[in-house]
Amino acid sequence: MENLVLFLSSIRWQDAVDIILNSYILFRLYVLFRGTHVFRVLIGIALLWFSQRVAVALGLILTSWAIQGITAAAAFIIIVVFRNEIRSVLQAKNLKTILWGVPHQTVKTPIETIVDAAFELAGKKIGAIMVFPGMDDLDELIQGGISWDGLVSREMINSIFWHDNPVHDGAAIIEGNRIKKVGAVLPLSRRDDLPSSYGTRHRAAAGLAEMTDALVLVVSEERGSVVLAKGAEVRTVQNRDSLVRTLEEHIGSTKEQWGYKKKEKRELVIAALAALVLISAVWFSFTRGQERLVTFDIPVEYVNRNPATEIVDSSVNALQVGLSGSGTLIKSIRPDQVKVRLDLSKAAVGRNSFVITSGDIDLPPGVVLRKVKPSTVDVTLDIPGEKVLPVQVDWVGKLRKDLILTGAKIFPAKVKVKGGKTILDTLSTMYTEKVRLDQIEKSGSLKVNLALEPATLKIAADSSDSVTVDYFVKERASSLPAR
Amino acid sequence: MRRFWPLILPVILFVMAAGMGGAEAQEKNDVPANVIEQKLTLVEATVCEKMKRSTPFNKAIVFSSGLEKVYCYTSFDPVPREMVIYHEWYRRDKLKAKVRLTLKPPRWSTFSSMRIRKSDQGPWRVNITDPEGKILRIVRFSITE
Repeated sequence: MENLVLFLSSIRWQDAVDIILNSYILFRLYVLFRGTHVFRVLIGIALLWFSQRVAVALGLILTSWAIQGITAAAAFIIIVVFRNEIRSVLQAKNLKTILWGVPHQTVKTPIETIVDAAFELAGKKIGAIMVFPGMDDLDELIQGGISWDGLVSREMINSIFWHDNPVHDGAAIIEGNRIKKVGAVLPLSRRDDLPSSYGTRHRAAAGLAEMTDALVLVVSEERGSVVLAKGAEVRTVQNRDSLVRTLEEHIGSTKEQWGYKKKEKRELVIAALAALVLISAVWFSFTRGQERLVTFDIPVEYVNRNPATEIVDSSVNALQVGLSGSGTLIKSIRPDQVKVRLDLSKAAVGRNSFVITSGDIDLPPGVVLRKVKPSTVDVTLDIPGEKVLPVQVDWVGKLRKDLILTGAKIFPAKVKVKGGKTILDTLSTMYTEKVRLDQIEKSGSLKVNLALEPATLKIAADSSDSVTVDYFVKERASSLPAR
Repeated sequence: MRRFWPLILPVILFVMAAGMGGAEAQEKNDVPANVIEQKLTLVEATVCEKMKRSTPFNKAIVFSSGLEKVYCYTSFDPVPREMVIYHEWYRRDKLKAKVRLTLKPPRWSTFSSMRIRKSDQGPWRVNITDPEGKILRIVRFSITE
């Protein structure tokens, strides 16, 4: 549970945008290429990629390498092989359609075919009953039947209702351009006002029409007439045009478009959800999978410092920053992408102690801060100033026992140094770097640099950072005992 | 010539009187000059390995830490009145000792010493100050191996 909370808290708004944006791109690819061969190949490539990730996770180096190669080649091949399909999708549609629109797969009921078939059956006095569902669900009212899902054609309709066909007595359920079911048993009407010439087929048509909004077409076997039943009305259709019009009114206004739209909408919602799940999984695999740790030494940047002050000392120059993230991310990360910025806007002259927080550290997206060492940084601020200081030589080593260094003249005798006032106030002498005595045997001259301690001190532009020392040596007085 | 004495004598007397008056004025003018000269004056300040009969021996600017002591010798002439001065011993910028020394007129030499150890290696200085803390001179030296 704690891990889940930690995980959720580590998701940033950029991650959400990342997932949603890529999900939408995948969804658009589906919308644009569905029903084409390209889409099937894309699914194949996605499966290859997934297999490669699994192979990597299992440590199958050769397999993952081979699949990676195949995936890359396949991606290239589909662009070449399906260039025409891709071009037609991109060229045929405007930008709005590509980014937003949903191209509908229009499925029309072949009314002409049905009408032709109906009158052909009537002419041959072959009985038939065809149901065109409306908005109502017919599953509870229709019994039996054989699912078929075949495309509508005149020949197939003739064949279904052919005398010797075992299903010729039942009804054919037609949705869109497909005959969904054949040999279906419809509920019979109990009406008394139906003409006595109507047989079971007519009563079945009237029965379903009474109970639902379906349109039922009956071809009379005895008289060779075409009868339509809808609602309470049962009427004989005199001519072809009338039947076409009635079918168009029924199919066009209600069931097919509505039913198809509903189905398409459901399909698109499922596709959108699938794209979201898939991209989330990919994102997780990239950013969270195979968590790795890395440590960088990051220099500390100080920002918002009062211009009247300067930093004269800091406890550290760089921080050890421990980061974690997916192997891919961590491998690609460079130290210069990580920034440690300390806000000095509230710092005062003197020593200031800062506890490093995650807010002080800028990280690339998807990387999590694990540790910072040291966790506190001391920064000393001071007001810049100048001071003229006398120079003194810092002699070290051992002078020959029989010699005495009697004096030294330094040029220039004084230098101007710049630094924090607090530090300058404590200084009264500027020392040189260490000068060894071991090699000195007689009077001479040497040039030596000044030792800037602390290191924040600087020599003013009009002063030299080195001095010339003329030193004077004489032999130790003989009256004194040698040391 | 005798005839002229009555005329010459007053002139000579006048000139003499005028000359004497100038000398008095000169003497008066010299009074403040004498006071300035009487200001405490440091004529020598040095660091040495030893004091022998109140005289510094082996004056130097570098001393081995093998020595027991280092001496700071100062000589004043004139010393207008009995007064004190200070020898402030610093290692780098850290005060190690402040020695109070009495001076007596008309001239006076005095010294202070610092016992040195191996850990005292580094640059040193002695600030010689008057009772008001005004630095009269700084003597610099080093303690080495």
